[in-house]
Amino acid sequence: MSLLRDIITIVAVSAGAFFFLAGTVGLLRFPDTLTRLHALTKADNLGLGLVVLGLLPQAASLRDGFKLVSIWLLGLLAGATVSQLIARAARQGESAR
Amino acid sequence: MTEFLTAAVGFILAMLALGLVSILRGPGDADRMMAAQLIGTGGIATLLLLGTVANLPAAIDVALTLALLATFASIAFVKKGLSSLEADGSASTETT
Amino acid sequence: MSRVPLLAHGTGDMVWLPIEESNMSGSSGTPDANAGVIAGGFWWSATSRAAWFVCLWLVLAGADPADIPAAAAAVAAATWTSLRLLEPRTARRSVRAIGQLVLLFLYHSVVAGADVARRALDPRLPLRPGFVAYPTRLSSGIRRNVFTTLTSLLPGTVPTGEENGQLVYHCLDVEQPMVAELAAEEAALVRALYND
Repeated sequence: MSLLRDIITIVAVSAGAFFFLAGTVGLLRFPDTLTRLHALTKADNLGLGLVVLGLLPQAASLRDGFKLVSIWLLGLLAGATVSQLIARAARQGESAR
Repeated sequence: MTEFLTAAVGFILAMLALGLVSILRGPGDADRMMAAQLIGTGGIATLLLLGTVANLPAAIDVALTLALLATFASIAFVKKGLSSLEADGSASTETT
Repeated sequence: MSRVPLLAHGTGDMVWLPIEESNMSGSSGTPDANAGVIAGGFWWSATSRAAWFVCLWLVLAGADPADIPAAAAAVAAATWTSLRLLEPRTARRSVRAIGQLVLLFLYHSVVAGADVARRALDPRLPLRPGFVAYPTRLSSGIRRNVFTTLTSLLPGTVPTGEENGQLVYHCLDVEQPMVAELAAEEAALVRALYND
């Protein structure tokens, strides 16, 4: 049982780290602001989500688990909101030029 | 398990260091702000992992606060950026 | 949903997260069709929101009898703020449809992340970026903002604002059937929350 939980943790945290890698590479490689925004918001929030998912089996109590999930939800909400705001600013900046 | 999670912390921190390159490179303010957002998200993940590895419940509270503050920073940036853009727009319509 | 104030614990201080949805669409405070709420509905939604905030407090700060004054103040302030910012509505909400929306959202998040990761790590960098206009049937204001927030998690789309009543999306690959995916997401959202 403990082995199963450890396997879930290892798989999910590895996948999360992979998405952080992908987000960072996208941020460095994509050609313009709006495409970089895609890389940032999607890959990173998924990375955080997978790290949270991986830590859930290690959580000491149910409350800790809920807390981890609520941190992820907050991050997701913030990422979705901020990405729209930055996208608007970037598009207006482009059309103003 | 502890070793694996510590390695994951190291890997994510390395990614954040790469993200710093993007702050240095820019080219625009929005790009730098996105790198800051990346560091916010990665920092939250790092703190959550560290809180579990070192059994520090306080680190998870720090992650929660960081999640709030990263949002505020980005919103403040965009509000300021938008208002300056709008000011530019109205100025240019006045001159034309 | 995105106006939920967050309570930071430890000192009993409150940290607010007023995400100003109205600033995203530029059209603030559009009165909802269902704004005329009867008093009973008002108290019902106040009570249920307060119950949610109590749960959130218990999750974030824990159940300590010494915290009760701070918790009561925080829950009261959170409920007041949420009622002020997000007026209670009478639209029917189906738990099953909300569950479907959540599943669709999670699925899209995973697909979106995998899609971006594939493009970022591909040596040829397969991008065909461009703008796509999506004509939405949602009324402007909160409903449309909830929709743009949800769809910013769709694979390869980021909403970048509105033009002539249409939502403008930036796409990583303009050859993918974006409009159809957006329409499916809108239909799921309407079924879940705005089925009036």
